[in-house]
Amino acid sequence: MSALTFAKIDQTVLDTLHPAKRSYWILVALLLLGVLAGAACWGYQILVGIGVGGQNNPVAWGTYLINFVFWVGIAHSGTLISAILHLFRAGWRNPIARAAETMTVFAVCIAGLFPFIHLGRVWQVYYMLPYPNQRYLWPNFLSPLMFDVVAISTYLTVSTLFWYTGLLPDLAAVRDKAQGVRKKIFTYLSLGWTGQHDQWRHYTRGYLFFAALATPLVISVHSVVSWDFALGIVPGWHTTIFAPYFVAGAIHSGLAMVLTLMIPMRKVFGYEKIITMDVLENVAKTIVFTGLIVGFAYGTEYFIAWYSHNIVELESFRWRAVGDYRFGFYIMVICNTLIPLLFLIRKIRRTVVLLFGISILVNIGMWYERFVIIVGGVAHGFSPHAWGLYAPTVIEYGIMFGSFCLFFFLFLLFAKHLPSISMTEMKETLEKGEAHAT
Amino acid sequence: MQPKKYIMGLFRNEDQVVSAVHALEHSPYKIQRVNTPFPSHKILDALKLKKSNVGYFTLAGGIFGFFAGFGLAIFCATKWNLIVSGKPVISLIPFFIVGFEFTIMFAVFGNILGLLALGGLPSFKGLKYYDPRCSADHFGILASCVAEQEDGLKSFFQTQGGEVRVFD
Repeated sequence: MSALTFAKIDQTVLDTLHPAKRSYWILVALLLLGVLAGAACWGYQILVGIGVGGQNNPVAWGTYLINFVFWVGIAHSGTLISAILHLFRAGWRNPIARAAETMTVFAVCIAGLFPFIHLGRVWQVYYMLPYPNQRYLWPNFLSPLMFDVVAISTYLTVSTLFWYTGLLPDLAAVRDKAQGVRKKIFTYLSLGWTGQHDQWRHYTRGYLFFAALATPLVISVHSVVSWDFALGIVPGWHTTIFAPYFVAGAIHSGLAMVLTLMIPMRKVFGYEKIITMDVLENVAKTIVFTGLIVGFAYGTEYFIAWYSHNIVELESFRWRAVGDYRFGFYIMVICNTLIPLLFLIRKIRRTVVLLFGISILVNIGMWYERFVIIVGGVAHGFSPHAWGLYAPTVIEYGIMFGSFCLFFFLFLLFAKHLPSISMTEMKETLEKGEAHAT
Repeated sequence: MQPKKYIMGLFRNEDQVVSAVHALEHSPYKIQRVNTPFPSHKILDALKLKKSNVGYFTLAGGIFGFFAGFGLAIFCATKWNLIVSGKPVISLIPFFIVGFEFTIMFAVFGNILGLLALGGLPSFKGLKYYDPRCSADHFGILASCVAEQEDGLKSFFQTQGGEVRVFD
């Protein structure tokens, strides 16, 4: 195989921006239909009322909150890859950083929709804004839900700006190869970037600060999400382990989603020389690590329930393993901690089909983890007379399906209209001799 | 005053650029800028540039954000007329979370502002003396000279192993 060069990197990435085939637009149209179906379900809920969802006493938090936490989690690995691994100078993150960052932006946007959906009367969302009003009501910043508003808004703003800043030199590269209207658009989008030394001098410094700021942010955001639960005195929720447990779980699911997206993209766009097997293998190794942390957290929860001698906690965790939602618990444990251990076998983590399959299983497992925690907690609380079960309705499934379609729809549009691999970072990697050229 | 000529030397190799930059220091020509497809630390070192001041913008944004976040939470808390049991009206620990998130958000705003202000963005003037190959696989050194030194500058770049582009 021929060695990677600057020109080849450009050619490979810019080739993906050529007008798409009909099959691409068919897929985009199908996903758009899914998005519209989800939107119709939400519209129906707005029209009829939140009662069309299955949330009711005692389970007031159902799929909307599960999906909220799931999508925030998916968003986390983008920042891990682009910021934390950047600070660690891990060269292997460069080929996948752009797509992971994009995944972050879209996932946070979708996560941000769910609290709105869950509100029911979504038009009253402005109650959360601090402004003088005749009701004398101001947001209560003692509430973890208000922490969440602040944290998620910050995360969305920062990850979008981080993504755009990283994209700037590549937008200029596209501009320099484009013609006509396209050139004009990219000229404005690239803000007149020329890659002159003074721009790079400030850019590299600014990017480093970006990464340094995004690192504590990513940890704080999922910690704040976990406090939505941990600050409530609900058995199974009220625990100090939740913040690190949620952060590890978020990265675990996000890395799995990176594989789910990268593997088909690598195949379709012919990125095999850029997103090498070594890159995918490194993601798989990180999944083993995060999977072990998550497994350790599952075990610790049980240990503390036993060690505390608290009968409510003991019952809550007994019921988790043998109660009505035990299927979710076993899916969670098997998919999140046991199956990723298969990546300890080198042959498995270097087989694309198995990587793809396991990544999907981890995604399923992580969705169920949120189901087990969120629904399981409130369904089986302190008082036996208040125990109850919950099942999502068709409307909830429709909205959830729409959210997945929206995610893939946005990602598909991105992949074909903007550089999905950072050409700049790849060239830098190649110059340093860290790229796998053959 | 004689009109200036702008000439760009285009190189394919980072090390050639470094040696050309060193040679230009002892020549009558003036380096205007060096365009590169990626941040080259070798070239930035050769140009002996000072450390960027973007950090001051970031710091200022962060400090502002911290007080803005804390201030907002305290302001909202004091606006409540309903005091709940013995809880403190101004609770530092939960308000710290708001302060922290605002610190990050405004530090990033400061960072972006610094990046744009110091990097001279957005500006489309730089595209006048720019070769599109500089975003692909070439490194360009833009130097200026008076009209009668034009040939000298051209041959200087050629001697250094570069391709020459003259801007009108």
